[in-house]
Amino acid sequence: MKISYNWLKWYIPDVPTPEKLADIFTYHLCEVENIEKKVNDIVFDINILPNRAHDLLSHQGIAHELASLLNIKFIDPTSKYKVPESKPTNLKIEIKSEKCKRYMGRIIRNIKVGPSPDWVKTHLESIGQRSINNMVDAANIVMYDLGQPTHIFDLDKVKEKLLIRLAKEDESIITLDNKIFKLREKDLVIADSVQALAVAGIKGGKIAEVDENTKNIILEVANFDSTSIRKTAQSLNIFTDARKRFENELSPELGDCAMLEFSALIAEMCPMAYFEDVVDIYPFKKKENKLSFSALNISKILGLAVSKKEIEVILKRYNFKYTENKGVFEIIIPLMRLDLVGEEDMAEEVGRILGYDKLKPKIPKINFKIQKNKEFNKIKKTREYLLSEGYSEIMTYTFCNEGEVEVLASASDKKFLRTNLSNGLKDSLKLNQLNMPLLKMQEIKLFEVGVVFKKSGEEIHVAYGDKKGVEEMILDDFVLKVLDPFSGWSSFERGIQGPEEKIFGTEKIFKPWSMFPFITRDIAVWVPEEIKSENVKKIIKNNMGELVIQGPELFDEFKKGNKKSYAFRLIFQSYKRTLTDTEINEIMTKITNKIKGENDWQVR
Amino acid sequence: MEKENKKGTKHPLSILANEAYEVFSLLGFEIALGPEMESEWYNFDVLNVAKNHPARDMQDTFWIKNKPENVLRTHATSVSARMLEVVAKENRIPSAFISVGKVFRNEATDATHEMQFFHIDGVMIGNISDGISMVNLKGVLTKFYRKMLGENIEIEFRPSFFPFTEPSIEVHAKFKGKWLEMMGAGMIHPNVLRNVGLDPTKVQGFAFGGGLDRIAMIKWNIPDVRLFYQGDLRLNQF
Repeated sequence: MKISYNWLKWYIPDVPTPEKLADIFTYHLCEVENIEKKVNDIVFDINILPNRAHDLLSHQGIAHELASLLNIKFIDPTSKYKVPESKPTNLKIEIKSEKCKRYMGRIIRNIKVGPSPDWVKTHLESIGQRSINNMVDAANIVMYDLGQPTHIFDLDKVKEKLLIRLAKEDESIITLDNKIFKLREKDLVIADSVQALAVAGIKGGKIAEVDENTKNIILEVANFDSTSIRKTAQSLNIFTDARKRFENELSPELGDCAMLEFSALIAEMCPMAYFEDVVDIYPFKKKENKLSFSALNISKILGLAVSKKEIEVILKRYNFKYTENKGVFEIIIPLMRLDLVGEEDMAEEVGRILGYDKLKPKIPKINFKIQKNKEFNKIKKTREYLLSEGYSEIMTYTFCNEGEVEVLASASDKKFLRTNLSNGLKDSLKLNQLNMPLLKMQEIKLFEVGVVFKKSGEEIHVAYGDKKGVEEMILDDFVLKVLDPFSGWSSFERGIQGPEEKIFGTEKIFKPWSMFPFITRDIAVWVPEEIKSENVKKIIKNNMGELVIQGPELFDEFKKGNKKSYAFRLIFQSYKRTLTDTEINEIMTKITNKIKGENDWQVR
Repeated sequence: MEKENKKGTKHPLSILANEAYEVFSLLGFEIALGPEMESEWYNFDVLNVAKNHPARDMQDTFWIKNKPENVLRTHATSVSARMLEVVAKENRIPSAFISVGKVFRNEATDATHEMQFFHIDGVMIGNISDGISMVNLKGVLTKFYRKMLGENIEIEFRPSFFPFTEPSIEVHAKFKGKWLEMMGAGMIHPNVLRNVGLDPTKVQGFAFGGGLDRIAMIKWNIPDVRLFYQGDLRLNQF
């Protein structure tokens, strides 16, 4: 969520510098994704954690939190909101589904759609929102300021009343962006007596859209069931900021503030407008809950002695109503803090507010009685045995094109789970056979220990093999048949001495390989017998260029008469492109010519 | 002729897994294994993941066709949950478990995302009198990351959220001058303890989990997670 530094300052003028603020977010609240420096503002993109999405997806929410966290002044804007005295209304609203927790509506007449005041434009533009007109902007300001999504209907386009109900069979809606959506019967809509006007909490419809001629409006401030919003938005594939807030569950209590701010904004933008009373349908008013916790238990969870006093300081700064008796606190959970349920939640509050840097690492001094894991030991011994026998280890994909077990809705075309390891091992053998010159191996021997999936369930298999063939069996059979004392066990015992050699502590860095094919060339040279292979190698090296990734490697030498033959292998490969035979031929010709230039040297 | 090394070469993730097992074994952790195809109960319900939690969506989790309530595990935390249930039944407290296993996520692959990768997941549980707390979590993970990434590694905790831990934190390690996100952790949520048959007023513990592939990529500067699963022996450099 994008947070404008200037916007925050309205509420907390003493907010720390942007640099400090970034650290405060990171260490006490949530991750900072990005910090964008604008001409006159700085915008933080922060990832509000899911358990605080109820109260922190807004500037006021963040400002409140920071004011308490940092013990700085919070300027409450409520007293500045001026709404003209309202008149009785005949707005009719009916809630027909429990998926609507609260619905507040208000008729405002004689408004004028037009541009927004500059401060509104600046606020919205700072967080990457475009100013549209005063009505749309007012709704957006309320959402980004308080976290409460709202909506405006053109009163004169609404027939009779507002109904909050489930969609009817085969009902569809055209949304503000002129898209047609077919609704399911479990989707919640705001309708009039004739048809659906909006997908509740997700997107407004075309029918009762506010346009430049709109004179009279209905403000909506409502609260909907989070799961229902998420499922509907998902099935319609609509992502809106309203959806994001509703699907994380908002407190219905937010409605009062939101209606006040919304009304005040319209009053500021349209001084000639007159207001009717708010209609507030709130079937299940949220009750205040209590939570009790002790300083002692919180200290035990954190492993840090937290005093009664420290906790009291925090509770006061966060404006929690509480009582305390011998270190046991009882608080009334603020209605906005849907995340606070049990003692452990308060441990997190205290921990993050104090800062987790207060926790000094300590190894627990407990005498654990460890039981050996037999299955793991089988895998370990199998692996060590196969490594000692010269088999190299691979891990291949579980997903494949055919099998006995299938997954649903895979993002990939490989929807089945492997029934064997052999297929992957064979593919790997082929791949590595081709790369043999690069691997400095005389033969390719591979193994994999892994899980395969049969109709009857999963099994741990062992597969190993070389170009002559691949063996595969279940782990237990491998242990019995191959690691058996009479066949392979003794060689296994001999082969493995002590733990695996240590590679840790040495600073090794991965050497990436080229994705392009390599070209192998051999060159054999007759030289007088007193000439050493090193001399020949040097000449090749000096003339082979940059494209050789391996070699010159002496792979053959013999003597005939008073002459010696040396054969070298060169492997060419580029990280950037596929090499051509022609260019390699040129290099080989160059080397050949250099060698021929030496007295009595011949290329065979 | 340059002589061939007769021993086979090791997969980097295996090397890391074995080192991890070794360091945790020394700290009193038992090695645990569990199934890759997991029930919805052990993968989600027992871990206090809400019924309507987005993680359960088909976009994120592989559900098994014709086998409702079964998934490819999305984390090795399911193994930790199973072990907590075992210690509850056998009354084997205090205990600690460590598990490295393949996990699956239904997502498009790129250099940093794979449909399959390895998780390292651990849990330590004790009686209240054993005093297993967040400073112990920090102690254990400091030891672990020093073994993985070097003796001078520092770690820090940052606020986070997971349904199965409370408080929840994210572990960051400072490697070559940069803070890097490493894993998620926290104190086991009382609902999880209740779900496995333990009494949260009597026992307390921590849990942690994160990607092993990621540690390998950071440690050795391996640029692409997909390289681990190509069956290409050029990977086995260590």
